[in-house]
Amino acid sequence: MIRIVAAVVMAALAAASIVFAQAPRQGGTLRAVFNSDPPTLDPAAASDTTSSAVIRQVFDGLLELDEKLTPVSALAERWTVSGDQRTYTFTLRRGVKFHNGRELKAADVKYSFERAAKGKRPWVFEKITGAREYIKGTGAEIPGIRVVDDVTVELRLDKPFAPFLHLMAYDAASVVPREEVERRGGNFASQPVGTGAFRFVSWRRDDQVALERFRDHFRGAPLLERVVFRIIPAEITRFNEYRAGQLDFTDIPTGHCQAAKTDPQLQGEVAIWPTLGTHGVRFNVEKAPFNDVRVRKAVAHAIDPSIIVDRLLEGCVLAARGILPPSLPGYAAGVKRLPLDRELAKRLLAEAGFAGGRGLPAIAYNFNTADANQRIAEVLQSQLKEIGLTVELRRLDWAAHIKLVDDGNVSFFRQGWIADYPDPENFLTVLFHSRNVGAAGNTSRYRNPRLDRLFDEADTLAPSAARYARYAEAEQTILDDAVWISLYHYTSRALIKPTVKGLERTALSSAPEFLSPLRKVWLEK
Amino acid sequence: MLADLGRPLAGRLLALVPVLFGITLLVFVLNAVALGDPARAAMGQRADPEALERMRREYALDRPLPVQYVTWIGRVLRGDLGQSFREQRPVTEVIFERLPATVRLAVAATVISIVLGVAVGALAAVRPGGALDHVLMGAAVLGISTPVFWLGMMLSLVFAVNLGWLPVSGYGGGDLRYLVLPAFALGALHTGTVARMTRSSLLEVVRQDYMQTARAKGLSEPIVLAKHAFRNALIPIVTVIGIGLADLLVGAPLTETVFAWPGVGRLLVAAVGQRDLPVVMGAVMVFALVYVLGNLAVDLAYLVIDPRTRRGAS
Repeated sequence: MIRIVAAVVMAALAAASIVFAQAPRQGGTLRAVFNSDPPTLDPAAASDTTSSAVIRQVFDGLLELDEKLTPVSALAERWTVSGDQRTYTFTLRRGVKFHNGRELKAADVKYSFERAAKGKRPWVFEKITGAREYIKGTGAEIPGIRVVDDVTVELRLDKPFAPFLHLMAYDAASVVPREEVERRGGNFASQPVGTGAFRFVSWRRDDQVALERFRDHFRGAPLLERVVFRIIPAEITRFNEYRAGQLDFTDIPTGHCQAAKTDPQLQGEVAIWPTLGTHGVRFNVEKAPFNDVRVRKAVAHAIDPSIIVDRLLEGCVLAARGILPPSLPGYAAGVKRLPLDRELAKRLLAEAGFAGGRGLPAIAYNFNTADANQRIAEVLQSQLKEIGLTVELRRLDWAAHIKLVDDGNVSFFRQGWIADYPDPENFLTVLFHSRNVGAAGNTSRYRNPRLDRLFDEADTLAPSAARYARYAEAEQTILDDAVWISLYHYTSRALIKPTVKGLERTALSSAPEFLSPLRKVWLEK
Repeated sequence: MLADLGRPLAGRLLALVPVLFGITLLVFVLNAVALGDPARAAMGQRADPEALERMRREYALDRPLPVQYVTWIGRVLRGDLGQSFREQRPVTEVIFERLPATVRLAVAATVISIVLGVAVGALAAVRPGGALDHVLMGAAVLGISTPVFWLGMMLSLVFAVNLGWLPVSGYGGGDLRYLVLPAFALGALHTGTVARMTRSSLLEVVRQDYMQTARAKGLSEPIVLAKHAFRNALIPIVTVIGIGLADLLVGAPLTETVFAWPGVGRLLVAAVGQRDLPVVMGAVMVFALVYVLGNLAVDLAYLVIDPRTRRGAS
């Protein structure tokens, strides 16, 4: 019965939206904003979301992600996967033009991938046969990338890798025109040329990046005439520009979330949605006292994230139960963090020989400079005091923090993670596989052969309940072993003018950059 | 008179060399002591070990520190400041495209502080201890003690967001309206200092015997003030203006951040965060050069204003 009512309501709503929906309007300038100057606009050299936000508009890849984060056709019209899950054959659309007017060929794909494999994100290509050798500099090409004819390119993998299509939708795998790269040399990074819906116009460093619509885009000209990304480092200035009507969307400044939600002028423009990230606290399991699982568990049982979520972050983030965020495909609701239980925590400490914290030196907690991180650290400090642990706060800027963390020189530290693509592999395998110990992601330096096996098996399985079950098992093991303590899942907190239509709010797009395709956006008069 | 200035000028310029050298060494050592690895900082959260190694080789970070420094100095002497780690472009390019914005801002702030500061100081000196004096000097103290960041935010809130008279932030492609708020925010501190110095300096001079002599000769009061009082009061004021350059340089990164002004100050802050050493060294050199040359200009101004210093210098 409820289902029928729901169906009727849905149908009525759909009908209403057809009646009231305005036809998308052509033209206008979208005024977007970044919080820092992009280091580069070259897909091979980028490694940050600001650069990606421009790259995704100027370039296309073989595939892209739709609003449900499923890989769908972009430059590749269709693709087939061989029975052994190791060969991917992509058929390109015919007549796709670069911004310089030249037609796209399959050879461009091979050139672009080999070029990007030597860039900042080689991991995107390392699953392709021969890529590791090429990246190391011992091969002249990547033999696993084969140009079959002008519109067909075949990619062969060493082993099956389930999320491979996601990699092909990632902006590191954008296709670039060889002649422009060669002609421009180093300048390609500041004057990019792609096949994207918007072409590059200008970039005044630390001021603004301007794009205009590419009328010959293979999907037809986008609706917006121009896009201008202002570069404004201070969040309060972005907020003021938005209130002065000079930006079409921006992020909500730290600590203003509730204020914005209740502000009569702003509340209709507040948008909060979950993103694919988790704020965690990690241990280096090689360093005493955290090489003892009982001490790690004691800390996990002593931490109550609800104060951080509800008070510090104004309830504008999601409390975490596990490591994977709920919006990630493969999220398992049954996975649970160790519950708050201070008595148990004290018993575990005593069992480890540190009853009431006696015999333990002060524990250093390392975090990178940010208002919220400082306040979270203070909460952790006071909560751990309750079981007798003394915590010293060590605040460093990002560059220093990440260096210490990567090198294994800290024992208890903050580390968040945001997925590059929506698959548990990009969370759990990166962060906990023994082959990734160190800078590659496993900063806990955790080595568990059973987990490695689960991860390796999951790589070879097609997306299915069986594959996700392996991740759920691994995730629960990590939580039970108290290698990582999840505090909360990130959300994106944005202000969006009601005149902006078609701006996707997927779990991969977060303010202020919005990694969504701007070709779908239009401005109401 | 120009010939008189030649020798002291050459001496001062020569003295610049060890100063600049010392500054670069200091920055280099500080950076070496600070934790952090530029290759790692440039990689985002997930760093591929091989890509890291390749970058370290490319940046020559795998070489011993003294070798890195000597190589850098060698290149600087040939006019090459190296490549930015973050942007992979020549540092000179990175700095020079932002320098005009910083120069505009600094010049505007200096002009504001001199014009406004001298005017306020002179007005206050007309009736020392009077109501106007109290109000103006109170305002001057406020200008000196208000943090640049906060003042910038307030100016922007009042004049841009609420009144809508001026843009909130940005460069506006050189449009003068965009310059007003940042220039006032940056100039405020210095305006206060100049005003206070002008007042006290004028009051000091007015008490001198030669002022009585000038009046006794029958000169009118405006001429007495303009010709005799002001010229003599100038020396301390010029000194304050020179010292104030340091305040401008300190304030520039903050002002540029609040007003999203695309200058060298902001670049420096970002480069420190990224451990982009070539850019940090380049930007610090530019700042040091501006400071040292600014003080040189002040010294030259003394020579012009006060002939006694010319004899002393040669």
